[in-house]
Amino acid sequence: MSPEQTNLLQGTLDLLILKSLIAGEMHGLGVSRRIQQITGGTFVVKPGSLFPALHRMEEEGWISSFWGESENNRRAKYYRLSKAGLKQLEVETKRWGRITWAIAQALEAS
Amino acid sequence: MPLFVKARSFLRNLFLSRRVEVDLDQEVHSHLEMLIAENIRAGMPSEEARRAARIELGGIEQVKEQVREERLGNWLHSVLSDCRYGLRQLRKNPGATAVMVFTLALAIGATTAIFSVVYGVLLRPLPYPDSNRIMAVFEVTSKGRPSRVADPNFDDFRDQNRSFQAIAKYNDNTASVSGASQPTRTTVAGVSPDFLKVFGLQPILGRDFSASDAKKGAGPTVLVSYGYWRQHLGSPRDLSQSHLKIDGTVFSVIGVLPAGFRFPADVDLWLPADLDGENPSRTSHNYYAVGRLRDGVTVELANRDISAIARRIQDTSSEQGDYLLKDGIVVPLQDSITGKARSPLLVLLGAVGFLLLVASANVANLLLAQASVRERELAIRTALGAARGRLIRQFLTEAFLLSLVGGGFGVLGAFWGVVGLVQLAPQNLPRLDSVSINIPVLVFAFLLSTAVAAGLGAFTAARATSGDPRKGLVEGGRGQAGSQGSQRVGRVIVAAQIAITLVLVVGAGLLGRSLMKVLEVNPGFRVDKIVTMDVSLPWVDDPKAKTGQAIFFSNLIDRLKQIPGVRKVGATSGLPMDGGLPDGMFLLMTPNEIPKTMDGFGALSQQKGRIGNADFCVASEDYFQVLGIPLIRGRIFDERDGTDSPHVAVISDSLARDRWPNQDPVGHTIEFGNMDGDLRLLTIVGIVGDIHEYGLDVPPRPTVYVNLFQRPRAAITVTMLSDADTRLVTSAARGILHDLNPEIPARFRTFSQVYSASLGSRRFNVILIGFFGIVALLLATAGVFGVMAYSVSRRTREIGVRVALGAGSGDVLRMILGQGLRTIFIGVAIGIAGSLALTRTVKSLLFGVTPTDPLTFGGVTLLLVGAGLLACFIPARRATRVDPMVALRYE
Repeated sequence: MSPEQTNLLQGTLDLLILKSLIAGEMHGLGVSRRIQQITGGTFVVKPGSLFPALHRMEEEGWISSFWGESENNRRAKYYRLSKAGLKQLEVETKRWGRITWAIAQALEAS
Repeated sequence: MPLFVKARSFLRNLFLSRRVEVDLDQEVHSHLEMLIAENIRAGMPSEEARRAARIELGGIEQVKEQVREERLGNWLHSVLSDCRYGLRQLRKNPGATAVMVFTLALAIGATTAIFSVVYGVLLRPLPYPDSNRIMAVFEVTSKGRPSRVADPNFDDFRDQNRSFQAIAKYNDNTASVSGASQPTRTTVAGVSPDFLKVFGLQPILGRDFSASDAKKGAGPTVLVSYGYWRQHLGSPRDLSQSHLKIDGTVFSVIGVLPAGFRFPADVDLWLPADLDGENPSRTSHNYYAVGRLRDGVTVELANRDISAIARRIQDTSSEQGDYLLKDGIVVPLQDSITGKARSPLLVLLGAVGFLLLVASANVANLLLAQASVRERELAIRTALGAARGRLIRQFLTEAFLLSLVGGGFGVLGAFWGVVGLVQLAPQNLPRLDSVSINIPVLVFAFLLSTAVAAGLGAFTAARATSGDPRKGLVEGGRGQAGSQGSQRVGRVIVAAQIAITLVLVVGAGLLGRSLMKVLEVNPGFRVDKIVTMDVSLPWVDDPKAKTGQAIFFSNLIDRLKQIPGVRKVGATSGLPMDGGLPDGMFLLMTPNEIPKTMDGFGALSQQKGRIGNADFCVASEDYFQVLGIPLIRGRIFDERDGTDSPHVAVISDSLARDRWPNQDPVGHTIEFGNMDGDLRLLTIVGIVGDIHEYGLDVPPRPTVYVNLFQRPRAAITVTMLSDADTRLVTSAARGILHDLNPEIPARFRTFSQVYSASLGSRRFNVILIGFFGIVALLLATAGVFGVMAYSVSRRTREIGVRVALGAGSGDVLRMILGQGLRTIFIGVAIGIAGSLALTRTVKSLLFGVTPTDPLTFGGVTLLLVGAGLLACFIPARRATRVDPMVALRYE
């Protein structure tokens, strides 16, 4: 793990997965790479965390899955955001906003 | 929507787990392939690309396991795996498992069977709409006992109460009924018109009684039970042609009652009461009463209401005296039906509960022994990171498996057990027909198994996981696993078992001794070789018709005497032990004191010196000889006592002593006309021995016997003393009766059947509690043996050392026996204390012994100590044979 990579905070993984799926349906590796990309390489999600989260979120009904063809013609399982997932993204985003605001307040306090 | 998605996922995980797994496997593999491809694209050589991809993935199985743990319904999978593991554990020790399952099956089965009787008799609601609103209404006698109601009193209850929406009176008797088919003896109820309204029922066919059907002189109408309608009437839809001849009168069938309705018990026909008019006396208690409470009225309010009416009657009635009601009482009908059965059944339930405790203790001990063997396994699992909660869950799972399997077999056994119980149960146990294994009983059995499982599981889990895992590993290494701690607990369990068993066996002993004492009582009559024949003729009032019936009986008896083998033939209005005789107040008076009016009798009955109280029995001369009731003084009826000669009576010894102390009653005259409406005085001509007519455990009652041929009666029981085969006598007698009048049905029994039925409920209790006691004793003995044998096998090395150091076999024997005896004595001491506290609850079931009967206590204590010592002796003997060389090299 390179020094600029950071451990994921509890609960942020869901937010990042939902956020990355906004761009469209993608498979597990795609999600992982997308998170790496949009966080500027700060977060690298290992399969051991990614897959349990994906499966849990699918059971929650936030995302749905289907088997499709990958960019180089391999069979891959794709995930797509559902309506409930979109709503959940809003909820999580708001929650995250509150947390960052609160932490910032705390750090600014003298 | 998400909820739907969740449910679908849950079900998919549960039922399509194979597909879910394949899907996951493919997904992870495709992920790996894509990683490899990515690495190759980045320029890695293929081997290197593969390795890097695997490192990034972090192990296919681990990833899959992590996903599995996140899945919905994961807990269920882990429970299932606990079950699988538990089953494997149980299979590993097939012998112990079989013993535990059998023990639990026996105990749970027995408890379930007894509970099904308790439920069916005491708890199950009566099968009528809102049956808890149906009350029985009684008068209360001057002695404070509930009694039946007299007609005018019932009328006052009915007209003045504000508590009941419907109230009715009823009685039942046996009648000779003939319709299209053979004449049969049928149980018939006389009821007032609101009877069905009280039960909230209506005929399924035809109509209910109307008020006019019950008026004096109304056309005779009858309601029939569903069963009677089908069997005897041929289920006609149109009742207009259905008529029944009941005791000589033709009744029109007007309605059919719903299937299953038989109240009072065994009744098939319901007739309006009072077709011949009411009895105006307030002291002739001929009817039971039932009522349905109005909405919002409590039992207590109804009681106050009825009590107030009863006291008003008591204050204002001209018929003062002991036979006038003192009060009135209202009790729920169900309680009034099952009241007497309550305490014996609860005692049985308590006894079987004790058996269950003893059995569970045995299983707990076996589980404990296994757990201590498993201490090493547990220590290893703990060391490897298994949480204590997980281990506790494992033990609970195993206990549940055991108990549910045991309970399942137990319930299967209970199906047979209940059949046996119903057959064994005394005939007078009410509501036996409602006893079965039904849903509430099954729920009870399930809850019981669950409770046993929770107890056993919690116990073993607490014991097995409380220790320090390091100690387990170390001790385990020496092969002396968990000896000290678990053996102490084992001995505590055994002491408790002995204590409970002692209480149970003392209870069984007290009941058994009571039964023996009862059987020692001289009944005052002979039982063997008597065939009885119940005959009832239509009820008549006219003296001439009555005389005709007397002649009929006289002919019948003469003919019966000629049956080969029949020695004597008598007749009575009521056999001993067969439901009892009517009782009443008689007056001592001489012929010239007979008053001219009813008021005159009333005035005489106020004089204490003139009144006496006795049972009233109608009998023929030979009845006394058939039953072997001895003549003490004077004479029994004979040819002198014709219809027109002075009426005579024979009295029982106790009546003679109580009413005529230091006098000779022979020659005195009494008035006992209130029993049969015949006001002629009775001259006492003889004194006969007392008999226990209400049961051996009830003292003989003072009795006045009158002559059947002077005071004829429509329903009698003929008694035939015979050396011949019962079946031959029965068929001959049936033929003779048919010859004399084919319309009269008869019922045949042997007197010993009647007699032994009277002991039925006592025998039932003794057999069952005795059986539970024996089983508990065997289980407790097995428990002692198990704990001692286990202890000896664990101490082999120690004993070897002792022998090597010079201990003789006597010392070893003493040491082991002493250890066992300590446990036994502690158990016995607690058991005796418990028995002293508990046997009071069975006091009402005892006869001739006190609840603290020293003989029973002593005998049972000896029995338990003996059995316990025997169980200790075998392991102790084995201990003396320990060879020090072998023992020291052991393991």
